[in-house]
Amino acid sequence: MVAALADREAARSVSVEAGQDCLVGHFDAMASPCEILIESDDRGEAARLAQIAATEAWRIEDKFSRYRTGNVVAQINGSRGKPVEVDEETASLLDFAATLHTLSDGCFDITSGVLREVWTFDGGDRIPAPEAVRDILQRVGWDKVRWQRPVLTMRPGMQVDLGGIGKEYAVDRVAGKLAKATTHSALVNFGGDLAVTRAPRKRDAWRVGIEPVTGNQPQKGTILEIRTGALATSGDARRFLLKDGVRYGHILDPRSGWPVEGAPRSVTVAADTCTQAGMLSTLAMLKGYTAEAFLDGERVRYWCRR
Amino acid sequence: MKDTKQTSVSATLAAATCSLLGSVPAAPVQAQEEPKWDFNTALLYYGEDNDRVQDLSLNILGKRYFVDDRSLTLGLTVDTLTGATPNGAIRQGVPQTFTRPSGNSAYTIPANELPLDDTFKDTRVALSAGWEQPLGRLWKTSVGFSGSFEYDYTHLGLNGGLSRDFNNRNTTVSAGLAIGRDEWDPVGGTPIPFSPMLDVGDTGNKTGTETKDVVDAVLGVTQVISRNLLVQVNYSFSNSSGYLTDPYKVLSLVDGTTGDTITRVPAPGAEGPSHEFRFERRPDDRTKHSIYTQAKYYMGGKVLDASYRYMTDDWDIDSHTLDLRLRWPVGERSYLEPHLRFYTQSEADFYTISLVDGVQLPTFASADYRLGNFDAITAGLKYGWKTRGGSEMSVRAELYQQRGSIPGNLLIGNQVGRETYPDLDAIIVQFSYRFGW
Repeated sequence: MVAALADREAARSVSVEAGQDCLVGHFDAMASPCEILIESDDRGEAARLAQIAATEAWRIEDKFSRYRTGNVVAQINGSRGKPVEVDEETASLLDFAATLHTLSDGCFDITSGVLREVWTFDGGDRIPAPEAVRDILQRVGWDKVRWQRPVLTMRPGMQVDLGGIGKEYAVDRVAGKLAKATTHSALVNFGGDLAVTRAPRKRDAWRVGIEPVTGNQPQKGTILEIRTGALATSGDARRFLLKDGVRYGHILDPRSGWPVEGAPRSVTVAADTCTQAGMLSTLAMLKGYTAEAFLDGERVRYWCRR
Repeated sequence: MKDTKQTSVSATLAAATCSLLGSVPAAPVQAQEEPKWDFNTALLYYGEDNDRVQDLSLNILGKRYFVDDRSLTLGLTVDTLTGATPNGAIRQGVPQTFTRPSGNSAYTIPANELPLDDTFKDTRVALSAGWEQPLGRLWKTSVGFSGSFEYDYTHLGLNGGLSRDFNNRNTTVSAGLAIGRDEWDPVGGTPIPFSPMLDVGDTGNKTGTETKDVVDAVLGVTQVISRNLLVQVNYSFSNSSGYLTDPYKVLSLVDGTTGDTITRVPAPGAEGPSHEFRFERRPDDRTKHSIYTQAKYYMGGKVLDASYRYMTDDWDIDSHTLDLRLRWPVGERSYLEPHLRFYTQSEADFYTISLVDGVQLPTFASADYRLGNFDAITAGLKYGWKTRGGSEMSVRAELYQQRGSIPGNLLIGNQVGRETYPDLDAIIVQFSYRFGW
């Protein structure tokens, strides 16, 4: 335990190096490489800003990661049917999750994580038995939860996972802190989910590559230019199951317990905040075949790969 | 990208995010693909049967996007035209000799054959440039220039457009205006209308260059009816004034009873027309009005594109065009698109077959088959596919069939039974390639 903690602390370092007409702060958080691009040539300032960013990212990771013990998520998931009173920030995230659940007709559900007990998307062919999926659905569904701010009561065996919101939330929180800490433009990029604090001055826009995620086909990555606002990408072509020629993508419909059919391999959405962009790209993935039609209807700019 | 009134999911999400983060977004998003050139290239072959017009055309259109949705479009078209085209004269039971438009030589058409002028040979280079940009969130504006250059014809034009989105961007109203000036500088000079075709070397009836001015205006509404249906209605107005005559077209001068062309003897020692031919004469003003409607219907991956155009002008030509396309996806990255087009037009009020000798000439007259009464059908198929690198390619093959009729009251004497509308069959083959760079 102590050794694991030491490892984690050792991995928690921040470095700053020169980028193209900017300084770049690097650190790791939420299982992703994170970077802060700052339109400044002051290394001291860059180091200070990167430290602010990393501190906030790690705080959010520690507080909401379901892999940590002793945090609020662990407390909720270990409640065995007893009511849990949560703090303001957690309550705001749960309110947000509740709104998304309603907005998506139950497709977006922070209690769906337990489905991973039967689904392992490792490129193999292990499809769970329909009975196993049906059994586990007894423990899935925000509608089975009692949420009366600030008290959450869940059935025994149910779990919440804020991983679907956490990273985008962290990007927006960090962007907000950096916007207060400097007048320079900064780009906050946590593993492809990113936000700009304010419009850059020395250049028209920040240039960002969307990773080619179509695993088996080499495809040229798309370069995007972002001046203000945020981008978020959902999807991972490497996470799927293949059985009898049928590809099962890793986006699960919490209402059926089975993968959504026809989901794009990845969806990148541009929005005012990273949280909005992330939710729109996730909701689009959950729409399956009609992902593009949904995004067209929402009149947002997006890039879809199939 | 945002509207004043957002759709339900986006609006609710924006409000929920606002309360989660405890702040409003610093600025609305501005993100787009890295500016780059988007090239649309096409190689087109158009070939009429019986050695009539053949056209090979190369088209390159490059578009570059800049920040804030501004874009620059540059176009280049190179055409080479060869082949023969009806010169307007009628058939005769004997061979007919014509002086070439250049006035430098003559050509002879065998008996009973439709007179075709085989000097038709031209290279055309057309250039265009356009700039488009939004004005605020709902307005969009564009300006452009076009120029087209042939050895006997020059066109220069300017255009501008303005559009505005309404009703949560479901309605777009647009207006456009284009002005152009064209100049004819025919080989051997511009013939004086109704003057006779003269012997080789005689330029007594030729003058210099002629010009025409064209004004086009369009007013349109595009409406999203539902997620599956998009409808567009346009009204357009076009006015041409100046020299609208075709300097290469003639009419046969015929006997009022037999309908045969009056014969003629070239000057001693000279080569020249065997019969009397008069250069055509069209009004110096033409105003067209047209209504265009288009519907695009999306049905489970397939797209039906149907359009109809009605055009009427003060030359008394009315035309109807019905165009149908169905885009049918084949597999993940390709599609088939059948295309059908029906066209019909009535003849111009001054369209005729010949001029009668000895009676007063009409004010205007032309025997150009394109001003006659005809129907046309185009039927084709296009196959398009996307490469793995994101480029798009397509091949298209179409058959064009034009069938006309000559009103019975225009035929005199022997012309009945001998003279028929010069029907036309053509094939069109096109290869297109679209790529980013």
